[in-house]
Amino acid sequence: MFGMTRKTWTIARHEYLVNVKRGGFIFATLLIPALGLIGVIIAAFFGGQTVSFLDEQFSGATQDVGVIDRSGLFATLSADDATSFVLYTDEATAQAALLDGRLAGYIIVPSDFATGGAPRAFVRGEGGLSSTIALESGRLKRFLIRGLLTTQVDPVRLDQVERLLQDDLNPVALDSNGKPTTADADAIFSAGAGFIISFAVALLLFISIFTSAGYLLRSVGEEKENRVMEVVLSSVTAADLLAGKVIGLGALGLTQVGVWLLSGVLITGGLGALAAAATAALNPGILALALAYFILGYLMFGTLMATAGSLGTSMRESQQIAGIFSFMAAIPWMINGLVFANPNFIVARVLSWFPLTAPMMMMIRLPHGDIPVEDIVISLVGLVITVPVVVWGGAKIFRTSLLMYGKRMSVKEIWTTLRAA
Amino acid sequence: MPAALVINHLTKSFANVAAVQDVSFEVERGAIFGLLGPNGAGKTTTIRMIMDILKPDSGQIQILDHAPGLGREKIGYLPEERGLYRGLRVLDTLVYFGELKGLTTARARARALDLLKRVELDDRARAKVQELSRGMQQKLQLAATIIHQPDLVILDEPFQGLDPVNVDLIRRLIRELRDEGKTIILSAHEMHLVETLCERIALINRGRIVLNGDLAAIKRQFSPNALEVAPLIGVGGRPGVAKAEPVLNGDGRPRGERITLEAGVTPQVFLKQLVDEGAPLERFEIASVPLDEIFVRVVTGKA
Repeated sequence: MFGMTRKTWTIARHEYLVNVKRGGFIFATLLIPALGLIGVIIAAFFGGQTVSFLDEQFSGATQDVGVIDRSGLFATLSADDATSFVLYTDEATAQAALLDGRLAGYIIVPSDFATGGAPRAFVRGEGGLSSTIALESGRLKRFLIRGLLTTQVDPVRLDQVERLLQDDLNPVALDSNGKPTTADADAIFSAGAGFIISFAVALLLFISIFTSAGYLLRSVGEEKENRVMEVVLSSVTAADLLAGKVIGLGALGLTQVGVWLLSGVLITGGLGALAAAATAALNPGILALALAYFILGYLMFGTLMATAGSLGTSMRESQQIAGIFSFMAAIPWMINGLVFANPNFIVARVLSWFPLTAPMMMMIRLPHGDIPVEDIVISLVGLVITVPVVVWGGAKIFRTSLLMYGKRMSVKEIWTTLRAA
Repeated sequence: MPAALVINHLTKSFANVAAVQDVSFEVERGAIFGLLGPNGAGKTTTIRMIMDILKPDSGQIQILDHAPGLGREKIGYLPEERGLYRGLRVLDTLVYFGELKGLTTARARARALDLLKRVELDDRARAKVQELSRGMQQKLQLAATIIHQPDLVILDEPFQGLDPVNVDLIRRLIRELRDEGKTIILSAHEMHLVETLCERIALINRGRIVLNGDLAAIKRQFSPNALEVAPLIGVGGRPGVAKAEPVLNGDGRPRGERITLEAGVTPQVFLKQLVDEGAPLERFEIASVPLDEIFVRVVTGKA
């Protein structure tokens, strides 16, 4: 495994400080938050979900809805309904009010409403979101239902109907033994939020692994192209160099993802608060396992990428070699949809046992919960055995291939190097 | 005092190509030693094994009383394939290489500022490496090689691509290092520079040592019993003289005579003869062959 010497940390610090100041890194780090900010602004203008935002934008525009009742079911309005609805005796007056901008829209309740007639709604041609929201709101539908049923059913039943229309069903989650995993609605919410957060953590760790591995690939490739390797290798061992780069550039990747995460919390504001609340519900066991897969996954892919960087005779060639490993890591994400349907289907399980796909596959499956213990054990044991082998072999190939300029190691030479080591 | 470097029967092959075969030589402490040879002879492979960058197939290396890889802090190495971090500043480059050799940041910085003065780059300390000329980068690389004050300095082609002014600066620097008691192994193709710097040499050809020892002795070995006298006296046909031929100036006029004595006749006896005869001698010296001529003769098999 990596031997941590003072030189390892010197290299790690150097790699971090040099790369964190690069224009490309700063640009990529700030680009995502900038795009997020633009996205939020666009959503705020065109999304239509943020009522408070729309209220601000349409301040002065009324939300009132006119009602022309020809059924006799809405002869009087309750005090509560009167804050949103205005009764009109004829359509011409209501229409004039609509066209003057005093109404968001109006409805005509037909005389046969009680026996099956359908109300008709009217808005101005350019009424826009304000009218749409007023007429599509649950409040108008509840108003109509209450009017229709008040004389037909008892008040208790009527309340029940309204609650069904208004509230979610709040399902109870059951574990494999058929017992509820959560006791109340809040807990169910937390479990759902916990899943989203767990999944987001897995996704971020995945992005972090490949961001850092990408930096490793480029760093090694550049040093090889610059012919600076032999100078460095006269001062440190290949293992020191590899370990220093893996640590330094791993920290760089985490910094980038950290900035993205922090900016996400700051930009979304309310969503950030939701995420913070849900984090409390995040299963610490899942988090610990996700971190274990992250560390093992990064060590493996980081070493593979650095080795790929040393093998190529140019950056382009190194990237082609690295593509093989990136593809391996991407396979679990390709079947992500199937894992959502059934996290324990056989392909997902097999990919969890295979070390090159295990970190990603397990990070995707973990948030679903209820993963067979043997899958966790097999994947972890496989990685704990594989990672030192990859690091050991990678360091050997790294050491030999770094000094081969203009010539790529053949498969036979790689095999000979590994055998000679 | 034990030698700075002892190499015994070193062998290294790549695939089926024998790069280094049974190479043995020693480098005394405090000496400037020339490791010479044509391109692809095995010099760089030998140096990489000394530096523990490559592992030998067989043979032993003892460097500053250690096995290769131990005591890297006592060795400075300027490889032939060398480069720098192009985006890094000059001073930061030296500090980083100093730290890699085990210096503290403060010590590395102090040494870096001192060395930048010595290689006349102190006014470029804040510049980025990519802004330096090739010659300047080479001087910076040399400074990085010795920033940690190593006991043994290995320089692989330090004069490559330098103008005469910078060649002179590097030559002066190498002599200063020797005067400070450092051991220097110099691999270079500029034979006239090797002649002015090295006391001992080893010549590698096709992976094998073909010459090894005191440079002056090697030069004598390639011109046995040869003398050069001036002016042209005309000693041909005398007893004890095997061969005599005029040495011509650039304009074709004779400036002296090159004489090869018969075996058993020493230069001292021959000089006494000439003096006793009252020959008008202005110059009498043991002739030597230029190193580049020896190099070509050995490498082409005409020795």
